[in-house]
Amino acid sequence: MSALTNLSMIEAADAVKRGEVTSVALVEACLARIAAHGGQVNAVIRLDKAEALEAAAAVDKARASGAVLGPLAGVPMMHKDMYYRAGKVSSCGSRIRKDFRPKLTATVLRRLDDAGAVDMGTLNMAEFAQNPTGHNVHFGDCHNPWNLPYCTGGSSSGSGAGVAARFFYAALGSDTGGSIRLPATICGVTGIKGTQTRVSRAGAMPLSFTMDNVGPLTRTARDAARFLRVTAGADPRDPTSSNEPVPNYEAALTGDIRGLRIAVPQQYFFDGADDIVVRAFDRALDVLKARGATVERVSAPSLRAVAAYVALCSRVEAAAIHANWMREHAADYSILLSARLFGGYAVPGHLYVEAQSRRGPLLRQFCAEALDRFDLVATPTLRTRVPTLAETDVDADATNWQRCMAVSANTRPFNYLGLPTASVPCGFDDRGLPIGLQLAGRPFAEARVLSAADAYQRDTDWHARVPAL
Amino acid sequence: MPPEFADKLKQSIRDWSGVECPNEAAEVGLSDFPGLLKELAALRGTLVFEDEPSSFDAALQAEKEPAR
Repeated sequence: MSALTNLSMIEAADAVKRGEVTSVALVEACLARIAAHGGQVNAVIRLDKAEALEAAAAVDKARASGAVLGPLAGVPMMHKDMYYRAGKVSSCGSRIRKDFRPKLTATVLRRLDDAGAVDMGTLNMAEFAQNPTGHNVHFGDCHNPWNLPYCTGGSSSGSGAGVAARFFYAALGSDTGGSIRLPATICGVTGIKGTQTRVSRAGAMPLSFTMDNVGPLTRTARDAARFLRVTAGADPRDPTSSNEPVPNYEAALTGDIRGLRIAVPQQYFFDGADDIVVRAFDRALDVLKARGATVERVSAPSLRAVAAYVALCSRVEAAAIHANWMREHAADYSILLSARLFGGYAVPGHLYVEAQSRRGPLLRQFCAEALDRFDLVATPTLRTRVPTLAETDVDADATNWQRCMAVSANTRPFNYLGLPTASVPCGFDDRGLPIGLQLAGRPFAEARVLSAADAYQRDTDWHARVPAL
Repeated sequence: MPPEFADKLKQSIRDWSGVECPNEAAEVGLSDFPGLLKELAALRGTLVFEDEPSSFDAALQAEKEPAR
């Protein structure tokens, strides 16, 4: 494998800026890696080779002319196939939208373009971003590069698998119930969803307008910090986006977490957890403690209500926006997705309103329980070992339903609570599949979340390991 | 899940939304509902008359990390 593809996103960007490598060389290295292993992993939906090489050459020319380069200049990326680029097909991982060509470009893509990133194409994903395993009957399942018969996590399956497989340096995912953090943990990479409203959703395929988040999957927390800074911030095209200033997240990554207080909720997150996951989680906390953090178990009874209400919100919102297709083209969906959408129509409207109305009070209650005396909440990202594609395949066997849906149990609550939450690799199970540590902070405390994640990665090398494809 | 419960849900969906049960997996998916209904029943009475969805944005602001 080319040493170039093993660089982190920031190492690659900085190498281009210093003239140590050309962007064209980075793109060519990534294309070679995809050519060699893309078929095994099936992370890619569309590869724009010529355009990527052209964009990379433009970066190299700009550098040679002395132009000031953007913070991501020359870095090859690919993105979940649900971020609209004017005139390009955005399939949303579906048959229904296989020929959809939007007329507008997503704000996050524009911001990445402005930062100099090189967009090489689009990535596999769960159909309409709606399953936690990454299954896709239309484009073929994406395979876990650590162990191919195992699922990648979803819905941002190609983003997680591709970053792990060193096909590119970073990718956009989206996260409505864990769709960034699950493929991050299951593929052994780093992912963060910001505070609800932190990143513009303009030009991103909608799923749940109250819980959708846009965010990165990267190799390191530092990469995620730079990526998030480039993409976050108010956007007139998305009236729900926050006006909260965007700090320099990278500057917060000092490695100094002395005095950091971490809460571990006793309820919910460890129900039915596998021992090997709990042991890896405890060892991860030990690493943070060795750097000066304190860890305390806390009681958070609000989680019971959070878990009940989160089960309603995205389901109902997705059911509403898919209703026309469910009436007229239900057979064009996978079995899994049409089954999942169907349940959303059974929820009475007053319960949906109740779930939304209780969201603010429950956020306040959870913060009082778990964050008033603490800076972060820590949990395993996935409480069990990674399942295989076969044992979570609902299209093949409807009785796999519960096993499939259980995958997102530990990530969903943070979407309802709207808190910034990251996942970093913290070990491997006995089948060679990664395990993830989930860290959540108070609203708009992305810097603190990333600071702890970065500190953890200074003392561990899980994030630097490369799958043997 | 009792079959009559699933039948009632399917009929209700048909009446309110015009959506037919697409497959067996959708019926299996409805089997989540009795447990969910139990959880939601336990939460009855917690909604306050003045609660409304917009309180979430206010809570995000109110619960921001204090400056250090």
